[in-house]
Amino acid sequence: MTRPVSALAAVIAAAGLLAAWELAAWLAGIDGFPPASRALAQIPRILTDGEALLDIAASVQRMAVGFVLGVAAAVPIGLTMGRSRHVAAFFNPLLMMIYPVPKAALMPIIMLWLGVGDASKTLVIFLGVTLPVIYHSYQGSRAVEQKMLWSAAAMGMGGLSRLVRIVLPAALPEILVGCRTGLVLALITMVTSEMIARQAGLGNILFNALDMAQYDTVYAMIVIVGVLGFVLDAAFERLRARLVAWAAPSHAIIAGTT
Amino acid sequence: MIAIEAVSKTFETEKRRRLPALCDISLAVAAGEFVSILGPSGCGKSTLLYIVGGFVAPSAGAVTVNGQRVTGPSPDRGPVFQEFALFPWKTVLGNVMYGLQRQGVARQQALARARELIAMVHLAGYENLYPKELSGGMKQRVAIARTLAYRPSILLMDEPFGALDAHTRTRLQNDLLDIWERDRKTVLFVTHSVEEAVFLSDRVVTMTRAPGRLKQIIAIDLPRPRSRAALLLDRRFQDYVVGIERLMDSADSGAPA
Ligand SMILES: Nc1ncnc2c1ncn2[C@@H]1O[C@H](COP(=O)(O)OP(=O)(O)OP(=O)(O)O)[C@@H](O)[C@H]1O
Ligand SMILES: [Mg+2]
Repeated sequence: MTRPVSALAAVIAAAGLLAAWELAAWLAGIDGFPPASRALAQIPRILTDGEALLDIAASVQRMAVGFVLGVAAAVPIGLTMGRSRHVAAFFNPLLMMIYPVPKAALMPIIMLWLGVGDASKTLVIFLGVTLPVIYHSYQGSRAVEQKMLWSAAAMGMGGLSRLVRIVLPAALPEILVGCRTGLVLALITMVTSEMIARQAGLGNILFNALDMAQYDTVYAMIVIVGVLGFVLDAAFERLRARLVAWAAPSHAIIAGTT
Repeated sequence: MIAIEAVSKTFETEKRRRLPALCDISLAVAAGEFVSILGPSGCGKSTLLYIVGGFVAPSAGAVTVNGQRVTGPSPDRGPVFQEFALFPWKTVLGNVMYGLQRQGVARQQALARARELIAMVHLAGYENLYPKELSGGMKQRVAIARTLAYRPSILLMDEPFGALDAHTRTRLQNDLLDIWERDRKTVLFVTHSVEEAVFLSDRVVTMTRAPGRLKQIIAIDLPRPRSRAALLLDRRFQDYVVGIERLMDSADSGAPA
């Protein structure tokens, strides 16, 4: 029975947030802070506007490409780091240096190389995704039980084969934790990259509206981004639960708690 | 045949302390022989098995199998680890089939062989469960079946029946002896049970406390095929068990090496 309960909790939380927003906006009474009712009223208009939809679709597409490429690059690096001290020693200082840099802050530099188009934005998203995925793949790979690898070696499997067929699945639960963080970061870098390189996309609508003092639209866009993040995260969580069902501890044993 | 020649192993710990685990072990195991290793906890039994398996390199000495020096693992030497080390993302069936598939055995054949082995370790009906859904004893039986599946001629078994209840343990001991009578695999078998060692083995090797050295090798001169019921009443069996238990006690009370 966990699903209806948590769904109900989510609805209550959302309703509470909207009510607080509405009330605060009425009390504040400033232009830059429209009440929820006015902002939400803009959402149907945005979502039926063909051009806006194309912008949003383009953003989501860039985000998907950046995410997939990021994961594809990060997982092999993380897994190899976890199995080889030398590889780890090579990448670790590099990653520690990149880690505290806000990826979107690199946007102006990247734009010098790649222009204001898709390539720059996708690269920034890619950078945002890779770090958490590398980190979690690394941790997952390090934790793979030695005897499992030995069992595979005794079956005649070589190093590369073990990395792909043993380390990868064994570390998958941890890798997916990294991917979940990566997905959220992809969304964040997507929006910020479009804030800096205004040209097209969801961020473009948001920040243009801000420039033109259309605050209802600004807040409506923020809500759309929030809902998008929520939906993506929930979808990913369902996928994750399916992929690593073998790893989850079996609950649902005590009657009445499920 | 396995020749362990003057093997020693010293571990380097994190703080660069040297930890001697095995000291000058020499032992020859004939092809088709069943040899058990007994010794106090921490004396290096697992380490010795890993060295024979080629998973760990000795600090000194060498292991040869049929004249070939061991430099790494090979499907000819099948380990059954104390920790089972099953693949958690594979079902029971998937685990048992895994080695065969990696060696390119056709799926149908691998499936048939896996089912046969699963039945042999009394797990028929559990084929589609994942390791997390199994008890400790069931995991251990899957691990045994997984290793037997790819037909190693040498079995390196590290307390394979340690987590089993007495009844299953007896049953599997009998099954192991049946397999052994049939295929005459060479078996190196670590256990803490003196009875088990005497019941199964041609020879029992006892080790001292850490750092482990060979203490005494006892040839078990009991007729085969062996039946547990008959042996328990056999005076010679009882003498072996009591004698080895005494020997082990003296190892434990001796001064640290
Ligand atoms: N990787 C390692 N690094 C450092 N020391 C180790 C390592 N592996 C084993 N040892 C040490 O070597 C000694 C022998 O360990 P081993 O696991 O071989 O004992 P064992 O006889 O199998 O014990 P048990 O009966 O409890 O399984 C122990 O003192 C252990 O602390
Ligand atoms: Mg051990």
